[in-house]
Amino acid sequence: MTVLLSALTVLGPSGTMVEPIDAEIAPGATLALIGESGSGKTLTAKSIVGLLPRGFRATGAVSVAGQDLPVTRAGDDAAWRRARGRSVSLLLQDPFTSLTPVHRCGDQIAWTIEAAQGRRLTRGARRKAVEERLAEVNLPARVADAFPHELSGGMRQRVAIAAALASDPQLLIADEPTTALDASNQAEILDLLRRIQLERRLSVILISHDLGVVRGRTDQVLVMRDGKVVERGATAAVLAAPEHPYTRALIEADPVVAARTGARIAEESADGSAEVEALLVCERVTKAFGARTVLDAVDLSIAPGAIVGIVGESGSGKSTLARCIAGLEREDAGSIVLGGAALAAGRASRTPGQMQIVFQDPYSSLNPMMSIGAILAEALGVAGREASEVPTMLEMVGLPAEFARKRPAELSGGQRQRVAIARALAPEPRLLICDESVSALDVSVQADILALLARLRDELGIAILFISHDLAVVRMIADTVTVMWDGRVVEAGPCHEVLEHPAHEYTRLLVAAAMRENAVPADGKD
Amino acid sequence: MSDIRVIGVAPVRRRRRRLPIGVAIALGVLALAVLAAAFGKLIFPDAMHQDILASTLPPGSPGHPLGTDELGRDILQMAVAGTASALVGPVIVAIGSMLLGVVMGTLAGYERGWLDTLISRWTDLLLAVPVLLAAIVVSGVMGGGYWVTVALLIVLFSPSDIRIVRAGVLEQSARPYIEAAQMLSLSRWRVMFRHILPNVTSLVVTNMMLNVAFALVAFSSLSFLGVGVAPGTADWGRQLTDGRAIMFQNPAAVFVPALLIVAVAVCVNLVGDWIGQRLSQVGEEVR
Repeated sequence: MTVLLSALTVLGPSGTMVEPIDAEIAPGATLALIGESGSGKTLTAKSIVGLLPRGFRATGAVSVAGQDLPVTRAGDDAAWRRARGRSVSLLLQDPFTSLTPVHRCGDQIAWTIEAAQGRRLTRGARRKAVEERLAEVNLPARVADAFPHELSGGMRQRVAIAAALASDPQLLIADEPTTALDASNQAEILDLLRRIQLERRLSVILISHDLGVVRGRTDQVLVMRDGKVVERGATAAVLAAPEHPYTRALIEADPVVAARTGARIAEESADGSAEVEALLVCERVTKAFGARTVLDAVDLSIAPGAIVGIVGESGSGKSTLARCIAGLEREDAGSIVLGGAALAAGRASRTPGQMQIVFQDPYSSLNPMMSIGAILAEALGVAGREASEVPTMLEMVGLPAEFARKRPAELSGGQRQRVAIARALAPEPRLLICDESVSALDVSVQADILALLARLRDELGIAILFISHDLAVVRMIADTVTVMWDGRVVEAGPCHEVLEHPAHEYTRLLVAAAMRENAVPADGKD
Repeated sequence: MSDIRVIGVAPVRRRRRRLPIGVAIALGVLALAVLAAAFGKLIFPDAMHQDILASTLPPGSPGHPLGTDELGRDILQMAVAGTASALVGPVIVAIGSMLLGVVMGTLAGYERGWLDTLISRWTDLLLAVPVLLAAIVVSGVMGGGYWVTVALLIVLFSPSDIRIVRAGVLEQSARPYIEAAQMLSLSRWRVMFRHILPNVTSLVVTNMMLNVAFALVAFSSLSFLGVGVAPGTADWGRQLTDGRAIMFQNPAAVFVPALLIVAVAVCVNLVGDWIGQRLSQVGEEVR
């Protein structure tokens, strides 16, 4: 029943993409592949299920319970049809796109069951089989009749797990299975996977960039970088005493590790709430989209030069609040006061010098047709500053001056986000709003950007409103944190207090998620 | 997925592919057509000269390599001289409707609201009008003529431009870089024409080139039906009508203008597709 990878190598159009990997996974054990974008971990996974993109091929061998998978024949569907499902199954990252939107969830699970058994089932047998599978992932039977869009992200990922396991594979490859989910859902899905795995004696390859996911839920770990395995060993041992400098850097940059050790990127500034007049005061800000209330009388206050964090899951209203403050959405009621002056709803009453936003997606927040220099010059021009200051702006965010000539497509995600920050700072705003600005970045890049924001706060005295779904990230940089849930503020206070003594039940959930605490430990040692 | 994107290709990949052979040929044909349009009347100043003695000569006759029509006009000379009228009108129509489309489509897509409703219903109305029939009716009422046809076709061709630009602008407007521009309180004109428009250029140009081909066929059809250009003018569509009567005495009188219309229309489409593709790669994500 053991899974063996022997000299598994992935070759691409421009040479070797993943250097030979050897590994052995016992039944019921989990091998973690960790690394950042471009490390080759997803290519490795795809080579094991025969889904390499055109132009890529694999060499070496993978055997599952003594049977070889046709890994060297990526395009050979006939050979793969026998192996996929029965031997190996793949669980994808994004439950919002990995299920077919036009079919009921039960049907999608049933297809896999029928394909694995090689025969069509009767209506009753089919229904019964689907309900069993749903029960295994803790979903009620009625989910079988639901379409994917009727379910939450966490429920969809459970359906995806049920579908992936419906063929009773011996090896499951889970590619970033929780990255697209809210923090509170992540732990549940991972614990569920762990439980099923132990029950079924299933071998799992878990791919992640998140050390918190790997810790305590996996047995062996391979740390990958640029297509090479740089470190390997028992998970607990590697995480406790990393040998390779890259592994060490990865662990240091990890917000979860920081959350456990209490390490911070920004100095927690002295609680200035006493006498300093607040820069921004929001009172009873309310906003509804149709019948749905997204902001329900939200209060928020930001002191000059403070970093205020807002945490909450998607749909909690945190982004809508930021957009109301920025004037990109019009609030229905409530007041927003900046520097003593009340701001009317909408963009028309705002000036660029008041506040700027850094958005989440570095790939679409810069105009692809403009050079970096033109983007920054335009933002400088708005404040009456000269285009000759472009190199200064680039230097401020840690980029070389020659980047002015480049276009966004030539930059990495982290570099683009630095440009977006420079653009936001050009009109010298008093408040910088970072709406999930580091969520799309790798952990080490994320740490760099957080350090940049902290430095800018210290140098420029700018106030920062930092929004994230991950409390572990927020606590590295924020002085105070506001927890939002279902359009309301459920808790607010200095960062360390909220973390150490969470008062609200939802906050406790977030804190646990930030520490990636888990119910089912893998080895009892962690 | 992201892993593959990043390691699969170098961070910057300049796509300098060689010119595809079909596009190279099409460009050559169009270059010849443009030369003929520019200098055709200089090379053959009396292409429309009638010579009763040379009535309906077959191809290969001395002094008339493609023969003559029933009025003794040289087929080759008429075809060359007719290029100008075949190209100028369609190009003006395509550019004119493109400009209309860019202005109205961008306004509709970015401003939304009543302006969008007004412009969208107007395009719906125009789309319901059959192009050739409308041209025939208007020519009948207003006495016809080349420039009346040009003006009419600009209006009738504009709905497709307006719709395409509007859809492109709608898609771009939702992107964060537009919100970033709004955060800088840039004027709406600057956002529309400096930020959004360059990102829909490939759509606009591809559609414009398609329109050149459509307009060429529309013009020729109108001339063929006798409502485009005045009789006695060098024009492929006109030549096609006149040649029908002597199709069996001199097939070149019909096939030469017909082939020219088809060849130029196809070449314009090929080149248009290629330009559109090139443009859409500028600033494209390396994915």
